[in-house]
Amino acid sequence: MADTAYDVIIIGSGPGGYVTAIRSAQLGLKTAIVEREHLGGICLNWGCIPTKALLRSAEMMDHANHAKHYGLKLEGKMSADVKDVVARSRGVSARLNGGVGFLMKKNKIDVIWGEAKLTKPGEVVVGKSTKPAVEPQHPVPKGVKGEGTYTAKHIIVATGARPRALPGIEPDGKLIWTYFEAMKPDFMPKSLVVMGSGAIGIEFASFYRSMGVDVTVVEVMKNVMPVEDAEISGIARKALEKRGMKILTEAKVAKVEKGANSITAHVETKDGKVQTITADRLISAVGVVGNIENLGLEALGVKTDHGCVMIDGYGKTNVPGLYAIGDVAGPPMLAHKAEHEGVVCIEKIAGLPNVHPMDKGKIPGCTYCNPQVASVGLTEAAAKEAGRDIRVGRFSFGANGKAIALGEDNGLIKTIFDKKTGELLGAHMVGTEVTELIQGFVVAMNLETTEEDLMHTIFPHPTLSEMMKESVLDAYGRALNA
Amino acid sequence: MARRLAKLNGLDLAQISGTGPHGRIVKKDIEAALEKGVGKAATSASASAPASAAPAAAAAPSGMSSDQVLKLFDDDSYELVPHDGMRKTIAKRLTESKQTIPHFYVSVDCELDALLALRSQLNGAAPTDKDGKPAYKLSVNDMTIKALALALRDVPDANVSWTDDNMVKHKHADVGVAVSIPGGLITPIVRQAEMKPLSVISNEMKDLGKRAKERKLKPEEYQGGTTAVSNMGMMDVKDFSAVVNPPHATILAVGAGEQRPVVKDGALAIATVMTVTLSTDHRCVDGALGAELLAAFKGYIQNPMSMLV
Repeated sequence: MADTAYDVIIIGSGPGGYVTAIRSAQLGLKTAIVEREHLGGICLNWGCIPTKALLRSAEMMDHANHAKHYGLKLEGKMSADVKDVVARSRGVSARLNGGVGFLMKKNKIDVIWGEAKLTKPGEVVVGKSTKPAVEPQHPVPKGVKGEGTYTAKHIIVATGARPRALPGIEPDGKLIWTYFEAMKPDFMPKSLVVMGSGAIGIEFASFYRSMGVDVTVVEVMKNVMPVEDAEISGIARKALEKRGMKILTEAKVAKVEKGANSITAHVETKDGKVQTITADRLISAVGVVGNIENLGLEALGVKTDHGCVMIDGYGKTNVPGLYAIGDVAGPPMLAHKAEHEGVVCIEKIAGLPNVHPMDKGKIPGCTYCNPQVASVGLTEAAAKEAGRDIRVGRFSFGANGKAIALGEDNGLIKTIFDKKTGELLGAHMVGTEVTELIQGFVVAMNLETTEEDLMHTIFPHPTLSEMMKESVLDAYGRALNA
Repeated sequence: MARRLAKLNGLDLAQISGTGPHGRIVKKDIEAALEKGVGKAATSASASAPASAAPAAAAAPSGMSSDQVLKLFDDDSYELVPHDGMRKTIAKRLTESKQTIPHFYVSVDCELDALLALRSQLNGAAPTDKDGKPAYKLSVNDMTIKALALALRDVPDANVSWTDDNMVKHKHADVGVAVSIPGGLITPIVRQAEMKPLSVISNEMKDLGKRAKERKLKPEEYQGGTTAVSNMGMMDVKDFSAVVNPPHATILAVGAGEQRPVVKDGALAIATVMTVTLSTDHRCVDGALGAELLAAFKGYIQNPMSMLV
């Protein structure tokens, strides 16, 4: 039975699982990965990647609609072909899905196809998937191992998460959508209600708005994208509203009535008033919950909390030899968090020196609505709440040459420093391409740079990144172009 | 960042080991150093002297890590017993003591014959209750406590505690007594021992010792004190030196009373002798002062009647 005995078995091939598998193989461990539906998990099949493809179509549309602004003339009317937009998105996903298969083969990682169950310590029984697959499916990769009993010294649970359902407003796949349906519409609705304004909700709201759909976003918290800095969130909201999006905050969808081909949402606002909004479809984007069920975790006595597996700084659960990483191991539920958590976990298993637990305070977050939002570290409110004496720097896109040349002069870069030590506590951005800019500050935070180091760093001209330096200078009253 | 924090806190980076990539010193290392009090730069410590900094300020090299120690032994050749709170406190306080207090030691021999004679006389005269139980039963240790307390009264300059700003001159001699208990030791304190009759000290010690072994002492019964006695005479130890337990400036290590040849008036004689060693904090009790204290102590031990007046 030597071919079913591994050093490491990873359950789930999402961005956390497959990256961990590759690192495990690099470290010389005999590694297998179990997947029941699609290599690459939600991220590159039904999440991060295909939505970026959709949003690219939306961006092209926005640009085309503003062609005149750039001195360009487009004859005729610009319109979207839903089928082709979705097909392109699925194609992008398929290419990356195939890429993960290739990476598994290249790193000599066995892919076991089916649903995993933990039966006893060190053992995984793989059977048929009990979950109906989301269609359309990418083909099952060639050369996978089938159902059976497999053993491993170390088992890593990386089963990810799924959309949270609110009681009474459960997604039905027809009138009430989750991201699965919203990602592959077979027609372009005329109107939509989006419930929840986190990254997923606001990205779909932004995509459909660009496609000309009448979109209403309903958010229970005070601000859209509630985890973001309030000032940034406010600027994003204004920009989205300017694009014609309706946004209701401190409001909740109390009830949804289903019609033949429409829904009516009863939205309750803070003042107790109820308004009804009738729309073609409702997208439920009220967060995700960890996939901890049907895994056999209960029988092994694995400790969980709020639907997530409890782990230490190195992914260890309370059961020896069993680990968890990524969404299933708790928030923030982000692909890059899962990847890093997985690498830390496997390097610790392999006994590498100097492995440090992930610092959750330095995980960046990106939202790809128009305008984009990106951040890392503490918000201004959180820094104040933590009792930090702070300096805040701000720099507007309106004063940056490159932004003006791009015709994208609305946005802000905000930096927060500890007054005494000069530690960069947080950076928050809204505006075009900020999701590509934030990483500069993430590196800075990780290297523990101070304002002094950043001021001594040369930023290339003319770029949007110059605003990062200006924001730092502004925190110390030294901004040059403001 | 680390450099900035080190500067703000007056730390010498050369004395701090880094845990970042390629051994780089990162923020976490500075925070750990601050917590442990490692790496205070010599100049800043003696100049501004925050309370936690010792003026000598030699960097305390942190010991080997757990992994480094365990690597030297085969996996199955030991078992690991987690430290309890008492063990951690002992380790922390004694490490701190040896790292921050410049110790020095003075020893003398004391003849015990007169003291032993007085002790049996006093014990024999102890009133008894209706069950025939004596009201007190003095031990040599009780008399040692009293003698040290009286010596500190007579040499008040030695009854002190060091702080960075001031010499704390104590008005009473509060004598801590090291009591060995399973898994460690604790030092309950006989307060104002110079004022208390031997019988009171003796009964108080019995009660404190009993409750120490049951781990039932209240914090105020073992925290503080101005000096301490550590007696290993009952274990037949001839002499040893003890570690000063801050905020004390002195500690007396007491060996066994044993019959030894002594020279009296030019002739060899036999006497019961015990060797005691005083450890002192040289920052506040200098050599001559320590000797003076010990001479006073020896006076009370060898002329024990003077303890009664």
